Amino acid sequence: MNMIELRNVSKVYEDKSVALKNINIGIKKGEFVFLVGPSGSGKSTIIKLLIREIPVTGGAIFIAGRNICNLKYSRVPQLRRNIGSVFQDFKLLPNKTVFENVAFALEVIGRPGYVIKLQVPQVLKLVGLEHKMKSYPHQLSAGEQQRVSIARAFVNRPPILLADEPTGNLDPVNSEGIMKLLSRINLIGTTVAMATHDRNIVNSMRRRVIELEEGEVIRDQKRGVYGS
Amino acid sequence: MFFTAISTVAITLFMVGFFLIIVYDVQAILSSVKSQVEVAVYLKDNATQEFRDYLESEIKSWEEVSEVVFISKEQALEKFKADNEGSDILKEIQGNPLPASFEIRLSSPEKVEQIALRFLTKEGTYIDGVDEVIYGQNYVQKLFQITAIAGSIAFLVIVMLLLAAIVLIYNTIRLSIHARRKEIEVMKLVGATNWFVRIPFLFEGFFEGVVGSIIAVIMLFFISNYLLIRGEKAIIDTLRVKELAILGSSNVILYIYAGIIILGGLIGLLSSSFALKRYIRV
Repeated sequence: MNMIELRNVSKVYEDKSVALKNINIGIKKGEFVFLVGPSGSGKSTIIKLLIREIPVTGGAIFIAGRNICNLKYSRVPQLRRNIGSVFQDFKLLPNKTVFENVAFALEVIGRPGYVIKLQVPQVLKLVGLEHKMKSYPHQLSAGEQQRVSIARAFVNRPPILLADEPTGNLDPVNSEGIMKLLSRINLIGTTVAMATHDRNIVNSMRRRVIELEEGEVIRDQKRGVYGS
Repeated sequence: MFFTAISTVAITLFMVGFFLIIVYDVQAILSSVKSQVEVAVYLKDNATQEFRDYLESEIKSWEEVSEVVFISKEQALEKFKADNEGSDILKEIQGNPLPASFEIRLSSPEKVEQIALRFLTKEGTYIDGVDEVIYGQNYVQKLFQITAIAGSIAFLVIVMLLLAAIVLIYNTIRLSIHARRKEIEVMKLVGATNWFVRIPFLFEGFFEGVVGSIIAVIMLFFISNYLLIRGEKAIIDTLRVKELAILGSSNVILYIYAGIIILGGLIGLLSSSFALKRYIRV
């Protein structure tokens, strides 16, 4: 069974622009997949559809066998608790420390204090920031901020991690660090899907590559490279 | 942001409340003045005792009439002397030129003209035995017009002030939520339920509304106690009205205070709830 499955998915935005046309994608549990393609090809749209930030126009999306398109609005938070998401702009809260930013993800889903005190340092150790727990985001480098956002996405141990251009704001050295981290998270058994147009990263990782162009899948290759 | 919202609520609701109290007081003054409206029926000197008794019982039978007082020629002269004590005019009076009269007080002052007309014959002259009927024709008409116009203007102004207050408070609260939209976005992304996001904001809006309106009520309390009650005495002296139901001294003001606090809380709560709608659907 696929962990993530898109069946004939299409998406037309309110301004009538067509983002996705009849997309079919299946991603197995524990896979690591790159979504590549130029800006506007539909990569980010897929990520947004998967966390139900926007609704599909046609087709169906299954996550762990469950159609999320007919999910009740009140069940959406439950879906998101099972999907960690990481973004290009980190989305950290500037007035909270590293510890508080990560703890926030557990607080809002109602985890008790002792769980937070146990899990937050653990995940910060995983991303290599256990010594910066009390720092504020502006005191960190861009690479470190992205590590915090990955820690926040992963602290709840979700089975799926989505990353939308996570290295978009980072230099090559920091990007490599982030990719190593995502690989480790993948190795633990997490299904990872990452949208990117960073050619070097895709080429060095040799993972499954799904290429999109103008809202259509034009290539789906195991152990692929960025483009021909 | 917190402070801005509270002071916006305090200032706008203070204005609404202040105007409400002023309007209520002006209405109270006007209705006191209205209740002073009288019809004076002057009798001819040759009017018989029989006619007098007949007229008195007739007037008393009209339901618009609350009180009828007979003033004899002698009483009229005494009153005239008392009112003009020390004046030269008294020396010039010989005998008693003043007529006897009925003073009629009305329970429904708006009917004053109809009452006065009852002393006229079909030909337009006064009925036998009546010399003249005086009720301040022009003055009374204008008074009633002014009361009616003032009432509707006041209502409009209160509605406008209230709308302005709601818009201002809503915008302030919306801005404070806008400033925290990133926090809301992150909450939603990591799987917070809508109510988890909403409740603190609703509580905050309600709290700001209640605290702001309590401040407004405290300001109103001092204003109405110190200014209006002092003004009341001055008005009683100037207008020679006997009693004035103005708010500083009545229980109605407690309802206005309670109303303002409830209104403040409601506006705060609803503003938060509406303003959140835009940000919560992530």
